[in-house]
Amino acid sequence: MSQDQPNPDDDGAAPVEAAPRSPEDFHEEAPWHRVHPVSPFVRGWLVIVALVYGFGQNWLQNLIPGFGGDDGDSSKDAEFLNFIFESVAWVIAGGLLVLLLILGGFYLSWKMTRYQLTDRHVNVRSGIVFRQQRQARIDRVQAIDIVQPLIARIFGLAELKFEVADGGSTAMKLAFLKLPAAKELRGAILARAAGLRAEAAGDGPRPGATAPAATDGTAAPDAVVQDAPVAPENVLVRVPPGRLIASIVLSPAVWIAVIVLGVGLAVQFATDGAFLMVYLLPGLFGFVPWIWGLFNNGYNFAAAVSPDGLRLSYGLLDTRHQTVPPGRIQAVQVRQGVIWRLMGWHKIVINVAGYGASADGGETRSTVLPVGTRADVLNILSIVLPNPGTDRPLELVEAGIAGSGGAEGFTTTPRSARLLSPLAWRRQGFTVTESAVFSRYGFLLRYLDIVPHERTQGISLVQGPLARAASVCSVRMMTTDGPVSPYIVQAASPVARRFFLEQSARAARARAAHDHNHWLDDDPYGTGVAQLPVAQQAMSAGATEDPARGAAPAPNQHERDNQHD
Amino acid sequence: MEMDRGMRQVPETDRAPAGAAVADDPKTIDPEGVDWLRVHPDYVKVRIFGVLIGAVVWLIITSIPLVLRSTGVWGGYPEWLAWLLPGLALLWSLIDLFVTNRRVRAIGYAERDDDLLVRQGILFKKVLVVPYGRMQYVDVQMGPVDRAFGLCKVQLHTAASDVTATIPGVTADEGARLREQLSARGEARLAGL
Repeated sequence: MSQDQPNPDDDGAAPVEAAPRSPEDFHEEAPWHRVHPVSPFVRGWLVIVALVYGFGQNWLQNLIPGFGGDDGDSSKDAEFLNFIFESVAWVIAGGLLVLLLILGGFYLSWKMTRYQLTDRHVNVRSGIVFRQQRQARIDRVQAIDIVQPLIARIFGLAELKFEVADGGSTAMKLAFLKLPAAKELRGAILARAAGLRAEAAGDGPRPGATAPAATDGTAAPDAVVQDAPVAPENVLVRVPPGRLIASIVLSPAVWIAVIVLGVGLAVQFATDGAFLMVYLLPGLFGFVPWIWGLFNNGYNFAAAVSPDGLRLSYGLLDTRHQTVPPGRIQAVQVRQGVIWRLMGWHKIVINVAGYGASADGGETRSTVLPVGTRADVLNILSIVLPNPGTDRPLELVEAGIAGSGGAEGFTTTPRSARLLSPLAWRRQGFTVTESAVFSRYGFLLRYLDIVPHERTQGISLVQGPLARAASVCSVRMMTTDGPVSPYIVQAASPVARRFFLEQSARAARARAAHDHNHWLDDDPYGTGVAQLPVAQQAMSAGATEDPARGAAPAPNQHERDNQHD
Repeated sequence: MEMDRGMRQVPETDRAPAGAAVADDPKTIDPEGVDWLRVHPDYVKVRIFGVLIGAVVWLIITSIPLVLRSTGVWGGYPEWLAWLLPGLALLWSLIDLFVTNRRVRAIGYAERDDDLLVRQGILFKKVLVVPYGRMQYVDVQMGPVDRAFGLCKVQLHTAASDVTATIPGVTADEGARLREQLSARGEARLAGL
């Protein structure tokens, strides 16, 4: 119950750990920690509530026939009291037994759950009967979330979620830690991932190179965690609640509900009540969680930039703090619907490996801007796409969101395909900058897809018979699973073919140029951001708070840019 | 010479003004300068076998109304409808059988220095390129029919679950060579996500 867990753990946790088998294992030796003891309750409170409810109901059911019985007869009264006492005794005994079993289970589950932070890995052991050991490579971290469900929030606890790429099934969870401890741990993981700790991790497990890390780790095991400063963050975008509510009122969720309701009422009146509105009600209630979800998840939304990357925080009842390190964003999409266009609002979603297929709110977690103005869009883009690869990023984004025709270097759908997309053909187009592909499409619902070159997993050209007749074909750029599937719609076939080959070569070149596994080593984040003025301010503000982290990357970036040229 | 060029350019510029000069044929989606390796001719037989099995299954399913009617169990529908369904199934299977050869010939793959290209399709065409550095693992599969012909299927998986470059119908030797080659090249150019 002590304050927080990064204390070098008490009992025989470390000795339990198998003896080091090789020098490589040796420096991996770090203290094992436990999660907060209340954790099983927070996770299992529903079980207890269900249990109490079940017993209570059972008991009441036993009582009620007795109550219904005749009154006034004293002997029967005594019998009845007896019955009550007996049943109470049994219920209490049974309830206590089950409760004890559950508490024992909770205790064991807490006792068995341990985690360890080493220089290169996060290890988690859990399970009572079926033991589970998971190891996550820190240099593969894709994103870290700190999640606080309502109950955990009441206790001041938080869950740390750690995405390690590969299709979304490999998330690692630590539930629950004290909130400050969770933040500290996040900072420590990100600092290691950023390559601050040891270049050794980047060079591979060579015993010689890792020796200093070993002495460091064993000498002051928990100093490591405290060393890493919590990176300063600067909030660039906030979504005011008024705008959020207005955006939800104007969103498809509400339209559809209203249309269904209207049609239902109309039919009811037209048929003089022969059609029962009641049948529609369950369907309408289905919209409530959807709309509530939009509100709950968009509430208090803030996006910030920090040297660790993009920071998102949001939530009314359940809150979530997400950190996406730079270079982990696989694709970006800016969306704008018809009504939102009138209001000047946009939504931005991204693909992050590990976010996509995850069960809990993939789209919610992938939303980096639930509703925002054009200025907000630029701010967010400056974080998620630190290097747009062009001298005119503002004009380019403007043309991408709202433009049509060939301005800012967009290659649009040829006239030969105007019958296939009568409204959108002037708008559909793409352009390639030094660092990313921008593709825009959609007439009523506008889309702008952005894929960094080095994030391209594959490209395919597709062409159906109609497209062939019109001498066009479409290009899909493959990224990891997520809400964005970047698409170039109906480009002229020769253009698309050339793009196909060139883009493949560009992707290979961009990847060779920098591997993002240690982003402070090879892809300094700070100055890429500075390409957009607002973010520049943010970064310089960050630098004043922590000169070591904010300012250091600057020179490197220029070096890299020069290499590119 | 001059006239020849002029005559050829007119229709092209008409169809595809942008970049038409690069390509001979504005309609094709095959990238220029790629030498495609075709799959083994025996793969046609594998596919035909599959088509035949599918045809039998569909014929049985679509014949149910006809059987019900002719055995007098239930006949609440016109006779022409009962004949139409298996007829359509048969027609579809015949068309399928007829184009199988062309379909197989449309499959091609090319290993370039940095990436693997795969093409397929005759009506709906598709060309896919996967850089070797993006490859997560290579899969070689061999079904019972494949095995009878000594063929196998090579699949290259990336981190994107929908990008799976599939090369069917290569000989077992070629499959093994591809697996080794792709793994080696992937290793050499491996990058993180």
